[in-house]
Amino acid sequence: MQASRARLFKEYKEVQREKTADPDIQLVCDDSNIFKWTALIKGPSETPFEGGVFQLAFAVPEQYPLQPPQVRFLTKIFHPNVHFKTGEICLDILKNAWSPAWTLQSVCRAIIALMAHPEPDSPLNCDSGNLLRSGDTRGYQSMARMYTRLAAMPKKVRSVELLQVWHGTTIQPSNMLS
Amino acid sequence: MDCDSFSHVPLPSLSKDLGKKKRGNRLAKLKQCKLDVRRQQWLSQIRNKGCKDDSIGRNESPSSMQIAYGGNKSLDSFKPRAREEENEGLSIHNRDLETLMIEPICSSLCNNDSSKGLSGSNRGTNSSSCSGSVCDDEEDECVDDWEAVADALNADNDQHQHSPIVDHITQSETNVRLADFEQAEKNSGVDLPEKEIRETVRMNCQAWMPDDAFRPQTLPSLSKQHDISPNSGWHCSHGVVTWAWQNIMPQPSSCPICCEDLDVTDSSFLPCSCGFRLCLFCHKRILEADGRCPGCRKQYDLVKRDTCFNGGTTPFRAVNS
Repeated sequence: MQASRARLFKEYKEVQREKTADPDIQLVCDDSNIFKWTALIKGPSETPFEGGVFQLAFAVPEQYPLQPPQVRFLTKIFHPNVHFKTGEICLDILKNAWSPAWTLQSVCRAIIALMAHPEPDSPLNCDSGNLLRSGDTRGYQSMARMYTRLAAMPKKVRSVELLQVWHGTTIQPSNMLS
Repeated sequence: MDCDSFSHVPLPSLSKDLGKKKRGNRLAKLKQCKLDVRRQQWLSQIRNKGCKDDSIGRNESPSSMQIAYGGNKSLDSFKPRAREEENEGLSIHNRDLETLMIEPICSSLCNNDSSKGLSGSNRGTNSSSCSGSVCDDEEDECVDDWEAVADALNADNDQHQHSPIVDHITQSETNVRLADFEQAEKNSGVDLPEKEIRETVRMNCQAWMPDDAFRPQTLPSLSKQHDISPNSGWHCSHGVVTWAWQNIMPQPSSCPICCEDLDVTDSSFLPCSCGFRLCLFCHKRILEADGRCPGCRKQYDLVKRDTCFNGGTTPFRAVNS
């Protein structure tokens, strides 16, 4: 109990100090409860999640860091290793491969890496996993991009781009003018 | 907030719980608001990048056109690649074939390397090179390994750049290569997913070893990456890496697990040959739980036996004879 608190306080200080070190991750601790954290992560570039901002919820157990934190996506995401409804994440370091040397920050980094490198052979989202396993990367990417736009992007950008996705065409400037 | 707490002061203790709950809810709401604001800020940053015209012209059309362009970029970036593939001739699978054709070359190169390393390690376990062990471990844990990911990206770029050369080779020796490729496929098992093969290729092409003396200083510090990926296969060759750790890693002043200061006993306590230090208290707690070193995820007992074999050669021989 005390150990986990001390450790979390240290991580909190570290996060405050290195705020600018990793611009893709914003870790915020709950004001009243140090065992509850939230993170905002940017979708990695050159993936269908690019441009999106995803919210993660951390529930840290009292045995932390001997036990891994429980992490889930609060923002909807179409990814083979994330449950579409609950946001649960299938990642080995959050289960049996956890090591006490990891921190909440490094967990965030691992999740960003997971977004860029999905593991379709252990899917939580079967639709997404099946698309990838059948080799339909294009289908997977367009689905993932659509959900990124729906759930993780501002509305104005979203509406125009959704139109494109919907019609399956790209809107040319000339079309817009006429 | 202030008003709230003020109003609670005179209330009897029974309603305090209710008040706390309310307050908790309010805090949660405030929290959510803050997060939403931050998110909006981020998103607006992205939006501003996407459409700079927005602030100049209030008309809907130019800004949305801009956005439309932005959106197209990502789609367009796929098309040229597809065209390239078609231009290169044979079929759409051309690129896949290429990567697979590179594979025998790369793997044969790397095999040479690793065989050298292995022969070295047979003579003296301490001096074993990392290359063999790295690829073994990283097949399942490539997600954790940041430098490997970076290397993989570089390798990918290299592949794109080298493609003309490879084309040249393939044109002159197509038959041979094809035969090679087929053999390789048979050997590796046809059902092995292509991605995995590629990954192994990438892993073999890793640019820098953690204890590489020629590694440029400008690259991100390795010690930090060790912190991030404690399970990477770099710790496999104990002698070398322990040495590296002791030289690169400054001795921590506090336990990385519980963040208490290390006292004299703790700081002379080296439970694992990977060089990961922690306080006796945490060590005991870990032994009570799963007993694996946080630094390399190996069982503490096994590791100790290993160090006996590797580090203390003389006592071992004495026992034997």
